[in-house]
Amino acid sequence: MAVKVVAICGKGGVGKTTVSSLIAKALFQKKDRKVLIIDADPAGGLGMALGIKPKRFLSQIRKEVINSIKKRKSDKKDIALMVDYLIMEALTELGNFAFLSIGQPEERGCYCSVNNLLRDSLKFLAQNFDLTVIDGEAGIEQVNRMVMRTVQFLILVSDPSVKGIRVAETIQKLARKISAKNQAGLLLNKIRSEHELKQIRAQTKLNIIGWLPEDNTIRDFDAKGLSFFQLPICPAYKGVVNALKKLEIL
Amino acid sequence: MGLFDEPFREVEDFIKEKQDLKQIRELPLKSILNWSEEASLILEEESALELGHPGQGSLSFLVWSQALKKNQDRLLILGPDLNELKGKKAPFGQIIRVYGSFPDEYQCYCQLRDAIYQTKLKGLMMRLIPSQQVIWCRVHQTALAQGFSLSHLGSALIKKIKALSFVESVEVIFITSSKKDLNQLKPAGEEVKRIAGALVKMVEEKDFDCEACEYWEVCEKVLELKQIKKRLNKKGKRWRLR
Repeated sequence: MAVKVVAICGKGGVGKTTVSSLIAKALFQKKDRKVLIIDADPAGGLGMALGIKPKRFLSQIRKEVINSIKKRKSDKKDIALMVDYLIMEALTELGNFAFLSIGQPEERGCYCSVNNLLRDSLKFLAQNFDLTVIDGEAGIEQVNRMVMRTVQFLILVSDPSVKGIRVAETIQKLARKISAKNQAGLLLNKIRSEHELKQIRAQTKLNIIGWLPEDNTIRDFDAKGLSFFQLPICPAYKGVVNALKKLEIL
Repeated sequence: MGLFDEPFREVEDFIKEKQDLKQIRELPLKSILNWSEEASLILEEESALELGHPGQGSLSFLVWSQALKKNQDRLLILGPDLNELKGKKAPFGQIIRVYGSFPDEYQCYCQLRDAIYQTKLKGLMMRLIPSQQVIWCRVHQTALAQGFSLSHLGSALIKKIKALSFVESVEVIFITSSKKDLNQLKPAGEEVKRIAGALVKMVEEKDFDCEACEYWEVCEKVLELKQIKKRLNKKGKRWRLR
């Protein structure tokens, strides 16, 4: 089965957003399919890295829907239609690309029905794209939550640190508990040498799908706040492309 | 008396005015709808046209009448059809008038709304929020090149709505001419919004105080709403009626 939904997870600071941006760039270059990119990190770093300013966050839609329920302006069906409409309106479109940012939860309280609606709408939305890429929140919490339930392949990003690798292993275990079908692979970032790579291979049983070297081009782009869509072909980008080829995504 | 009598008449007056000005025309109904029924998600890049895009002007509502009118379906358009539109974006109005008998108003309202929402045609992406009366459509380039028109959409809507047992005739009015024309129908739309809002609230709420309700003025004005309220009260809802 071709992978349709991919999530990028890992410990904070290992380079998840960089990897997600490079994946987005590689898929954008291809232009042969409809791609949905979801920035599920409340910090919203992926939008910044890609130079996209979201029109609206999913959290704002959630707030609007909750207000509508509070004011009793709508019944269930109307709310469902409203969610579909507002999500479509919130997409930032770039050719074959659509970008959606989750944003930060603003409304406190239990709104399970709204969350369920949002989850179903996102699932339906993702079904209409050839590929959905989700840049996850740091750590393991989100693996449990709404956007991650439809994920078929987890790209676990880690730097060479033991902590990074352990978090990746924990995420994989948790993902397996949620769905046995979930597949995962480790993508190593900021690798300095073949020797370092060898050492990591010896430390973990995770399936290593690729690696990215430390790359000054990435560092420069990050420092200048330039869009990764403009990034020239560089070693880190090649590393991501190779991994995507391995996964038959490219 | 019917629930939507007043806005129904307002739409009638609007049609007459535009007919007198020879601005409105009838589109042919397609007895055999030669178009696949499937939901589409269309990106801006793939779309040939955007109708009712947020900011362009959009209006969508439904009214009904119990006047006798059997099998007199009609499809009207004010403004250019899809292949005649200049530019990629246009305002859009989709007003539906239904003739029939409506024994349980809320159920009928929901079923009619579902029939509209369930009208899905290949190459057309339709998003709507009934309570806000907005509709937004995208037409795929391929669909337009293959001759997709508002005749297809109108005919499909009529077919879906006519499948409901309580419906006798359906009239669909599309507006693509201008935001000004849409605005002319906004007061009728607002009245529909208030009536439908009161109806939804009445049925959805378990305990209801008319004195504190934002819709009490509508209920005072629309006799049908008062009758529905009395009927619901008998069914065991707890009301503090005015």
